[in-house]
Amino acid sequence: MILIQQIISGLMLGGIYVMVAVAFTLVIGMLNFLNFTIPPLFMLSAMMSWALAKYGLPFGITDGPINWLVAIFIGILITIVASLIVERFTYRYLKNRYGDATEHAIPLVSSIGFLLIFTNIIIIYFGSEPVKFPVPFENVSLKFFGLVLGIPQLASLIISVSIVWFLSYMLKTTKIGRVLRSIAENPDTALILGVKVFAIVPVIFLIVGLLCGVASALFTINYTEVSAFIGDEVAAKAIAGMVIGGLGNIWGAVAGGLLVGVLEVLSIHFFGADTVKISVWGALLVILIIKPQGIFGHVKIGKEKF
Amino acid sequence: MKKILKINDIYKNFGGIEVIKNFSLSLDSGSKVALIGPNGAGKTTIFNLISGVYPIDKGSIIINDKDITSLPAYKRIRFGIARSFQNIRLMPHLSVIENVLMGQHTLASNFATLFRPIHFGEGSKDKLEAKNLLDKFGINVPPEEIVSNLPYGLQKRIEVVRALMAKPSLLLLDEPTAGLNKEESDQLSLMLNQISSDGTTILLVEHNMRFVNNFVEHTVVLNFGEKIYEGPPLLAQKDKQVREAYLGK
Repeated sequence: MILIQQIISGLMLGGIYVMVAVAFTLVIGMLNFLNFTIPPLFMLSAMMSWALAKYGLPFGITDGPINWLVAIFIGILITIVASLIVERFTYRYLKNRYGDATEHAIPLVSSIGFLLIFTNIIIIYFGSEPVKFPVPFENVSLKFFGLVLGIPQLASLIISVSIVWFLSYMLKTTKIGRVLRSIAENPDTALILGVKVFAIVPVIFLIVGLLCGVASALFTINYTEVSAFIGDEVAAKAIAGMVIGGLGNIWGAVAGGLLVGVLEVLSIHFFGADTVKISVWGALLVILIIKPQGIFGHVKIGKEKF
Repeated sequence: MKKILKINDIYKNFGGIEVIKNFSLSLDSGSKVALIGPNGAGKTTIFNLISGVYPIDKGSIIINDKDITSLPAYKRIRFGIARSFQNIRLMPHLSVIENVLMGQHTLASNFATLFRPIHFGEGSKDKLEAKNLLDKFGINVPPEEIVSNLPYGLQKRIEVVRALMAKPSLLLLDEPTAGLNKEESDQLSLMLNQISSDGTTILLVEHNMRFVNNFVEHTVVLNFGEKIYEGPPLLAQKDKQVREAYLGK
């Protein structure tokens, strides 16, 4: 029974990793580069929500702290805007100016620049110490056949899987999905077929901002402690999950994210918190040796159809 | 006769090397014209300049009385230009129907329609149109088949159908018979005759002279970026300059 309880807890934790892993995999699959701004975007949502819940809006717009739920909502919006700014200055501006459409080193390197900028702005204004987010409820849980299911955790899992399902549905069955997939396959041909590539690519960054913002909001509500570095740890595990599941494949990222969550909880249960990294990165190593393209991945990285 | 395309004295250089020099061309509506010349003569570059892949340095390009010289590539398709490529440029992991539907992207796109499911309402009408066009040209494959699983000749014809979905008045075909066997090449020729009889102007780059002689009524020969001959294809082979361009002095 304890084992089942641990697996369920692991799946719920994995729900957070799923969204971040999907954000990574979307950018790799569509635009063929590793977006290093995903960890700071995750952190930005959490820290901005915390700052708004503690101090309220700046310039005297509000007198004092604002409601925690409103703060979280604004935090998500700020993350989406930040992601669009990243697109404007990493992908569009630098790439159009200095590279061709298949050049992926330029956005990769400039996204590392944004990682440093976002992280350091937050450290300058709010410091690097962990802070407590004021959630008014604690340990609300359901008892189900002797299993304890935390409601916020359960909600995170349901929300994250629903968002990913909707995203996958959108990519497969709508016109924007078809256009995005054609940009993933060949941006130059898409342009000649009349696709305004520079106007469609921001949609990917908007989705990335939304995924990071919502994942971060769920993380904040569940764990309440946030800092300027929370994005790094979550993103590292999400990358491990993405590679385990298969690069560029949304459902691979889902499976990988959930697997990493379960592995993390089980290794804490059996061997203690210090062994988490060994088990997650060990699993990644094993997968890379046995099936380098990941569980659901194809051999050709970056050209996956969703 | 109405002129569909007018290219006036265009120039293009890459890194100081002039690849197109003082090139002009005028196409009548509904005509079939071949652009031929030795390797490296600048034929595909002309296609790339017309479709907007590269900007031109000097001169102007006018299609359907509209000057498109400074328009970006994604806007040109709206003025009636569609093209195929020397190496097939279908989206390999998309299905046949999705590839064909990409062709009419500009005709049926505004912000609201982008989020509409493909299978409902107007979307299913577009799909029906795409299927009808595939049927019309005898392409009988399951529409949901992934395009890279199909034979090369079929992919070439699907690429032409994709171009036709944009309802072009000018179709640019870059080496349509390259890599095709005789049977596939005959099927394509049949298809192109059908397209031409529907009133679409066809400009093609081609090395297969048997195909050129049978299909077009007018030829333009290019060498080192300059036009050296314009006239009927059979006379081109007797022209001194053309013979020198291919065989040397």
